[in-house]
Amino acid sequence: MGTQELVGIVPWTFIAQICNLFIQLWLIKKFLFKPISEVLEKRRKLTDDELKGAREAKEKADAMKKEYESSLSNAQAEAANIVSSAQKEAQSKADKIVKDAEEQAAQVKARAEADIEQEKKKAINEAKDTIGGLAMDIAGKVVEKEINENDHKKLIDEFINNVGEAS
Amino acid sequence: MNFEVNGSKIYYTIHTGIPVLGDFPITETLVVSWIVMAIITLLCIFLTRNLQVEHISKRQAIAEMIYEAAHNLVRSNTGGTRFDWLIPLVSAIFATSIVSNLICLVGLRSPTADLSTEAAWAVVVFIIITACKIRAGGLGGYLKGFTQPIPVLTPFNILSEFSTPVSMACRHFGNILSGIVIDGLIYAALAIASSAIFGLIPGAVGDVLSQIPILSVGIPAILGVYFDWFTGCMQAFIFSMLTIMYIANAAEG
Repeated sequence: MGTQELVGIVPWTFIAQICNLFIQLWLIKKFLFKPISEVLEKRRKLTDDELKGAREAKEKADAMKKEYESSLSNAQAEAANIVSSAQKEAQSKADKIVKDAEEQAAQVKARAEADIEQEKKKAINEAKDTIGGLAMDIAGKVVEKEINENDHKKLIDEFINNVGEAS
Repeated sequence: MNFEVNGSKIYYTIHTGIPVLGDFPITETLVVSWIVMAIITLLCIFLTRNLQVEHISKRQAIAEMIYEAAHNLVRSNTGGTRFDWLIPLVSAIFATSIVSNLICLVGLRSPTADLSTEAAWAVVVFIIITACKIRAGGLGGYLKGFTQPIPVLTPFNILSEFSTPVSMACRHFGNILSGIVIDGLIYAALAIASSAIFGLIPGAVGDVLSQIPILSVGIPAILGVYFDWFTGCMQAFIFSMLTIMYIANAAEG
């Protein structure tokens, strides 16, 4: 078995080594670079997708938050409305009750006054009759004289009426 | 004692009858080159087996690291992604170079200890450099570039142009060959030394021990850290870097 020169270029070896280099280049590309770049690309895509998803979820959450806040403030306004209307109603009801009570009281008072007036009249009339009779008796006894009762009655009534007006 | 360093062995010669190229010798260089290619390819297949997007294995992490390192090396030295097409070539040269350089550790002859290998790579790089220059400045611009700054310098410019691949090839080849020569010298010297030292032991014991190169165990490994490991890695790196630099420079015109 011979050996080639230590330092020298063998044409066939030279050509073969160029071919080897390009075969090696192709093999490395096929078996290392392509699969790795595919995986890296996939990972990049996955990360991008997840980021996008997270961003979307955040936007959604923000929108929901805004919605909740607005509905909450609406509810608060409504509650305030309800409370104020209830207060108004209560106030008006209370006013009405008081007014009714006052009216009623006024009626009661008026009726009582009318009753009193009537009683007074009645009492006066009774007193008039009683006093008239008494006066007739007294006068009859005093004068002991038969007098025309009708004339007397007239006189006495006049008297009493004068007394009544004076009293 | 004689010591000699030979070129790579010729296992078989195919008679082609082609005038200039001559016969096709199947040399040790070629056979080991194929072994190197097989190792690299199997390593690539092994590293990229069962790739996952999430929960990656250590193997995949190493593969991705290599991928990123190759991209970073090229991109940081060329400034941008303009030279991404260069990445597989540089990776192929680097991987082949480093495995070829280190395969001498298992007793095979490095394919890079044959100037034909480095010359092949350098010529490929040279062709790419020239193509980039022509593409950047046009054929006229490329040829005119040889007469710059003054026409008198034209021969020197041509010389310097051709010195690029020659220096690239010879630098790499010289370093690897010198490693082989030094390794051979050290083995030979240590064999003589151990024979001389153990020959001092009287009687049959000394005769037997002096025949065994005991000092050759261990000591060459320590020296091999520099001459094989360091030089091997360094030359692979230098060749790849020069490839990137020359091509990036050429494309910028």
